[in-house]
Amino acid sequence: MEGKQNPTLLIVDDSPLSVALLEKMLRKEGYAVITARDGPQARKLAFEAKPDLIILDIMMPGEDGFKVIGHLKKNARTASIPVIFLTGRDDLNAKVAGFDLGAVDYITKPFHGPEVLARVRLHLKLSLATNSLIASQASKLKQLKEAQTSMLTEPDDLPRAHFSVYYSSLLEAGGDFYDVFPISDEMFGYFVVDVSGHNIATSYITAAVKALLKQNCTPIYGPTESMRMINDVLVEILPEGMYLTACYAKLNRRKKLLSIVNAGHPPVVYLPKDGEARLIEQVGDVLGIFNEVYYEQHDIRVSPGDRFLIYSDGLIEKPPLKKVWCECLPELLKACFHVRDIPIRSLAPELARLMRDERYQVNDDVVVVGVEV
Amino acid sequence: MNFKKLVENLGLNDDEFLEVMEIFIRTTASDLDRLQSAIVVGDTRQTAEAAHAIKGAAGNLGFNEIYEMAKALEEKARENSLEGAAKSAKTIRKKYEEIADKFR
Repeated sequence: MEGKQNPTLLIVDDSPLSVALLEKMLRKEGYAVITARDGPQARKLAFEAKPDLIILDIMMPGEDGFKVIGHLKKNARTASIPVIFLTGRDDLNAKVAGFDLGAVDYITKPFHGPEVLARVRLHLKLSLATNSLIASQASKLKQLKEAQTSMLTEPDDLPRAHFSVYYSSLLEAGGDFYDVFPISDEMFGYFVVDVSGHNIATSYITAAVKALLKQNCTPIYGPTESMRMINDVLVEILPEGMYLTACYAKLNRRKKLLSIVNAGHPPVVYLPKDGEARLIEQVGDVLGIFNEVYYEQHDIRVSPGDRFLIYSDGLIEKPPLKKVWCECLPELLKACFHVRDIPIRSLAPELARLMRDERYQVNDDVVVVGVEV
Repeated sequence: MNFKKLVENLGLNDDEFLEVMEIFIRTTASDLDRLQSAIVVGDTRQTAEAAHAIKGAAGNLGFNEIYEMAKALEEKARENSLEGAAKSAKTIRKKYEEIADKFR
């Protein structure tokens, strides 16, 4: 809020009525309000006036809200301004897509006055808190990273789990993490998580999920049940707009059974000792948004020497090429072919090295967990 | 139609509410013109956009009948159907005139 007396809000909506209603509600609370009727005007105002918060309608003729937020997030000057989307009451797809693009919240139409004010207030506060934290507490963040890293299980901590790992976190507090844990003598759990967004809140989520895994990944529950129970808690504790994708593999060495559940995460790669690498494609809802979730469990009979890989989308995405992860999967399978004979210890780091493209700067966290039966 | 509750819900005073109503009356009149001419020429995209605008404005002010009708019209137009659209548009205009008359 840079020394300005009152926070400035930018309202973007093609409907003059919506603009008038929001403007009146918010001015009354002492906010300075500027308004735009369409996308290009909104971007220009955002850049020039650098408002403290933007309320952005999704459905606008011409340049819609999704395009506008895309532009705003790409520009360093406007990237950190919190954006609240305006959506129809029932438009779940728009809500999820909005979060994916970096919106912090949404307000549904028709408006409910107190709700609008509460959300605006909350996000101004959060943004202010985040900014001051980032500005003044960089050293704390560093400690946080150390704490977070110390929570990660190393292959040497759990040799019987036969895994290798590559972990690279971009920011001080990472958005990806993994855990490997014994469930019983012959059973191990392998869990990889990608938290949407990078911010200070991510770090407490790491600790929370780790605790949840401990509580819910036990011999009593199947992986699908564990995932559901973890979701139920996350729905309660995650800040609105934040969600996780995750993949959970449970390996029963005695029964030679591998069970996998996938919550919106890239597919597991299964590398049979004598056979072609293949992708385990599964459906499953992301964690932390929906009360009702669906997961599909995939069971594989495995043999000693078989391997599998769980990884985060940072391994396979190439944002500068505008390639989303599903387009890069063939490349991943090819890389898996190259590493099929190297010792398990080097599997994950070597794969990460092969997938890294020197031409582009890495701009996401990367986690690779490789396991051998 | 409970105006008092509505005004409360939006946190507006009477003057402000009248001002907003004036915007509703003005913009919806032009959206209705746009809607009806789009239907006449069979332009489903324009029909959907105009219906969307009317839906949003009516919804925000709690004019539920108009909101529901405009919503149905928008959904059909997005599926490229203008079946019964002219009739619905006419009904919407009638409801609109009733509201507008009270505030003129």
